[in-house]
Amino acid sequence: MDEHARTRLAGWLTGAAGMPVLITRMTLLSGGAIQQNWALDVTQGGTEQRWVLRTDNATVLSASLPRPAEFALLQAAFAAGVAVPQPLFCCTDPDVTGAPFFVMQRVAGMAQGHRLARQAAGMGGDRALAEALGRELARIHGIRPPRPELAFLGAPPADPAHDFIARQRAALDAAGTPRPVLEWGLRHLERTAPPPPPELVLNHNDFRIGNIMVTDSRVTAVLDWEFAAWGDPHADLGWLCAPCWRFGNRSLEAGGIGPRDAFYRGYEAVSGRLIEPARVAWWELAGTIRWAVIAADQAARHLSGKERNLELALTGHIVPELEMDVLRMTGALHA
Amino acid sequence: MLERPDGPELLDTAREVLLNELLPHLPEAQRFQARMVANAMAIARRESMADAAPALAELRALLREPEAEPAALLAQLCTEIRAGRHDPGTPNHAAVAAALAALVRLRCSVSAPKALGR
Repeated sequence: MDEHARTRLAGWLTGAAGMPVLITRMTLLSGGAIQQNWALDVTQGGTEQRWVLRTDNATVLSASLPRPAEFALLQAAFAAGVAVPQPLFCCTDPDVTGAPFFVMQRVAGMAQGHRLARQAAGMGGDRALAEALGRELARIHGIRPPRPELAFLGAPPADPAHDFIARQRAALDAAGTPRPVLEWGLRHLERTAPPPPPELVLNHNDFRIGNIMVTDSRVTAVLDWEFAAWGDPHADLGWLCAPCWRFGNRSLEAGGIGPRDAFYRGYEAVSGRLIEPARVAWWELAGTIRWAVIAADQAARHLSGKERNLELALTGHIVPELEMDVLRMTGALHA
Repeated sequence: MLERPDGPELLDTAREVLLNELLPHLPEAQRFQARMVANAMAIARRESMADAAPALAELRALLREPEAEPAALLAQLCTEIRAGRHDPGTPNHAAVAAALAALVRLRCSVSAPKALGR
């Protein structure tokens, strides 16, 4: 962001805050493949504030929500008592910094997946954090349709399981690369699909270590709301428990952090909902396939020449190990 | 016919230089990128040693398409799986599962050899 963009940004923030905002420091926190997060130190009406500015990178995933929608989700989550950074201002005018952005409070904590997983493994599994993750997810699932301010999410699916299968098949067809193992997994899902759940909730859809800020086994913030959608609550439970999100700690089934029962206990205590283990298993396989389709899509962006990027290129090479998980979960490895 | 060290040998040596001699001098922000470069070199190295012929032969025999190109073969397999023609209880179910397992082991041997040991 150049000097002119920063000057325009300070002017816009002053208008949004209704008092003078001066930018004292601005540094790129993470150059994610999809979004950019900037640490933004300001004085607002003379008081020092530590904010984060989140904006789009060049690569935008087709499945990902635009920044104003993510801002609305943060507002809903904040109001529901979910640990999220307090959302402050949202700018839809691309002329201020070059792309829409929003500003939120900066939260302390550590989000690096591999470091958190290493810490948890070092203590033989972190039950307290696994339970805390369950409680936090239950609070997210307290947000239920209909919600007029979240109208951009569209109507809730009548049958989340079959809706999921249809979407993944459409994505595979659009990508054009034949992937028989993912087809095998999707067909298994089709044969074993659970009926529609008794109630639909807001799924975060990327609730896993790496997107969650943690301090001392406590959740300080749930980040990255760009994939949120209405769905079966077991979809988020399965995503966190899927083998691909255990960061090498395959035996710590709740996100590579702790035992599954601790995570489930935290979730059930706050949600008052009983988890159906078979439904979680179904969504674990679904999540593994979904991640494989996203990973293949990221590599396709690199291959298309639209976004030449080594990280995107290497993400495609995650697909084979996800396929190994798909075969294991469908019982095909020792058939 | 061609001069040695060959491609795989050069990749090995170049990767050692990158990881052992260059990486320690890089600022933290660039180390991640250097590790990605090393990873890409390792994948290219393994790909040069991978032999897809046995897995392809298995698939060709299974689908009775001895001449099919790999992409056409995989596309046909996808169509059949989606249509339920290899569901449990069908004659080829176990054979298709075994062929998919062979295919994935080959793919992992290039992209993610650690996944083979799980």
